Amino acid sequence: MGDLTVQLEQQIQHAYATKTPLKIRGGNTKASLGRETSGEAMDMADHSGVISYSATELVVRARAGTKISLLNDLLAEQHQRLPFEPPSFAGEATIGGTVAANQTGASRPWFGGVKDSLLGLGLINGYGEVMQFGGQVMKNVAGFDVTRLQCGAMGSLGLITDVSIKVLPEFKAGHTLTFDMTIEAALEAMLKWANLSLPITGMSHFKGLLYVRLQGGAGGVASASTFLGGEKLASKAAEIFWQAIREGSFLQPRHDQTLWRWSGASDTLANTVPNTSLINWAGAERWVLTEALDTPLEGLVQYQGGDRLAEVYGAISAPQQALQQRIKHAFDPHGILNAGRLYAWM
Amino acid sequence: MNSLLNASNKPPHEGVIDVSTFVSALQKILPVGAVILSKEGQRPFECDGLTVYQQLPLVTAMPETVDQVQAILRLSHLHGLPLVPRGAGTGLCAGAMPHAEGLLLVLTKLNQIVHVNHKTCTATVQPGVRNLALTEAVAPFGLYYAPDPSSQIACTIGGNVAENSGGVHCLKYGLTVNNLLQVTMVTIEGEIMTLGGAGLDEPGMDLLSLMVGSEGLLGVVVEAKVKLLPRAPRVQVLVAAYDTVTAAGDAVAALIGQGIIPAGLEMMDHLAISAAEDFVKVGYPTDAQALLICELDGTDAEVEEQLLLVCECFKQHGAHHIRIAKDAAEAAALWQGRKAAFPAVGRISPDYYCMDGTIPRSQVGYVLTRISELSQFYGLRVANVFHAGDGNLHPLILFDASIDGELEQAELLGGDILTLCVDVGGTITGEHGVGLEKMPQMPYQFGDAELAQFRRLKAAFDSEELLNPGKAIPTLKYCQEYRSLQHG
Repeated sequence: MGDLTVQLEQQIQHAYATKTPLKIRGGNTKASLGRETSGEAMDMADHSGVISYSATELVVRARAGTKISLLNDLLAEQHQRLPFEPPSFAGEATIGGTVAANQTGASRPWFGGVKDSLLGLGLINGYGEVMQFGGQVMKNVAGFDVTRLQCGAMGSLGLITDVSIKVLPEFKAGHTLTFDMTIEAALEAMLKWANLSLPITGMSHFKGLLYVRLQGGAGGVASASTFLGGEKLASKAAEIFWQAIREGSFLQPRHDQTLWRWSGASDTLANTVPNTSLINWAGAERWVLTEALDTPLEGLVQYQGGDRLAEVYGAISAPQQALQQRIKHAFDPHGILNAGRLYAWM
Repeated sequence: MNSLLNASNKPPHEGVIDVSTFVSALQKILPVGAVILSKEGQRPFECDGLTVYQQLPLVTAMPETVDQVQAILRLSHLHGLPLVPRGAGTGLCAGAMPHAEGLLLVLTKLNQIVHVNHKTCTATVQPGVRNLALTEAVAPFGLYYAPDPSSQIACTIGGNVAENSGGVHCLKYGLTVNNLLQVTMVTIEGEIMTLGGAGLDEPGMDLLSLMVGSEGLLGVVVEAKVKLLPRAPRVQVLVAAYDTVTAAGDAVAALIGQGIIPAGLEMMDHLAISAAEDFVKVGYPTDAQALLICELDGTDAEVEEQLLLVCECFKQHGAHHIRIAKDAAEAAALWQGRKAAFPAVGRISPDYYCMDGTIPRSQVGYVLTRISELSQFYGLRVANVFHAGDGNLHPLILFDASIDGELEQAELLGGDILTLCVDVGGTITGEHGVGLEKMPQMPYQFGDAELAQFRRLKAAFDSEELLNPGKAIPTLKYCQEYRSLQHG
């Protein structure tokens, strides 16, 4: 644990000079995401530690290798939380990897994703230049938003060295309701309830049950609960359910299976995404688990499993592909940072 | 205004551009009347909301369709003519100031609300749709569009995307970037590109967020899909008066630190309170040194719970007067004073200059004290109105442009306030953008590596620097001159 910025900077400068591909790794919990790549290991786990945390400012700044589990514990001491509820993958996931892979939990539709809480970050580009973008304040529109651009970039535009994140207070009360519903009925119910101003922080459908999580002040939660009806889930069972949703543990593909992710409008009909196994984000995210397939499911991301040398994120238009290649070049002219992790052509 | 700025304001193809060929080609793309060449016709477009920066463009185009926008961009690209996009021109950083040798692309005629989906709480709009017009259009569904800049009656969604506009409710509901799902943009080559999607998180780098706040330097947005929010069943407004700005600042920090995030939390200092009260007469306590305006929203139960906590916290930190709005009319009146603060200050001074720094909340007391010292040093009054909940200051510098040198003094004072914001860990702009105005402070906030990265990113979209050139991102030459002046 400590500040390894100088070593990281030197490693990238050397890789730039020698055009050596680098493979960035934090807690090594996301190796199954993105495309399979090779390269010299760039280990971030030891570049860790909280740089600053001010509970009254609602901002925490930590080095990229800092574990999500550590941040969760630190924030909990002050009755605060990460708004985007990222998975901690058995305590090993790091905040840098979470930002790079854009990992968000069940509260996404109501409390936003990684980008909505991300205030700033440190980045070393493919030239080996150490840079800072954004900051620790809530509103900042100076310069291009290089900070949020990194969300989902899978480390292909730079090595994230530290991140500043807006945090929120813990909920004072909460519980989960369940409803015995088909996928079709659940989609309809979720659409209806999302339209009301209710303290909902999660709506998922799994194995014939719709789970609705209410969180907020005790009075607000109680009145919403009465309004919605349903069965109240025991608090331990609710905790286990939402943890499984967050950690993705309901749908772990076996070696001969593929997990597909669909993302779209929440009013999309059930039969548009056949064989849905799990619905999250009030219908805006759906998961399909299949046996190994010869042809990819159209419009879905090959999230885990299957051929990891394929274009797992699908195809994009030719002009946008060319633009993304120019952006990649603007950050990493020799293509040394996680080359090919996002797309074969990047 | 600033001698450094002129150097960067040159088109790359200078001397090569065949203006008459360009104009006749433009006239073939657009209907009669949509190409404006006369000085009189273009005069209304010579500046945005920051009126001290003025410049007539070579030509103004007002397209009505996306096809026309594409054709105009292709034409500009072909001829190497600079192009400045513009919405309603309510921006406050001279970001939409025209280019002397370029085309001004006015997008207000693309003003259709394409689709409202009340089930998914989303709307697809053209860039010229006014912010408030969208909220009014979706009101029958019990929905609204959350970002609400002070200019919401006039400003356009396209402009909001370009500047990443906020407003008084962004403390709880976020800025434009947090309320956007997808944009369709046209590149300088005239290619249509869709960024983001109908879902919440698309795979890959977040190009959508990059476009937001890019101040017209990367592309022209021709359609946006935005999130709408359900109206809260109950909205409660209250105001609290304090004897010192520091006490009010502490109350804000304590409230947020306790975990209460109001829908809006604004602060006004004594000069702003007096000016607003004189103007709108809503019953603000004019003896107060600071006033907090707080809005809570949610269900009845949620609001009741929060209201108790807020009142307790405000009292604990020395509020000597708390007024809770009894009904919607009183709530509107309490807001009216805040919303009218800028024109109210306009009544007590011939001119004012609005700044836009953001600072950590804990620094509010210190920064306001420093601003007061700077105000005395320059001999110019400063009224402070700001989004206290998120630390976004809007100091209004009062001056008289008819007095020789006073505008320059106001600018110097403004510059000092912005660098002060950076010094305490903040930023030179929270929501107004850099534009032309804050170019001098960009090298203060960013190092050379970051600025070079911005320029390479710009080049990835627009290698010939035709889109809104000379704004937002200083050139290498500009930065070198800035650094040599600092060290000279």
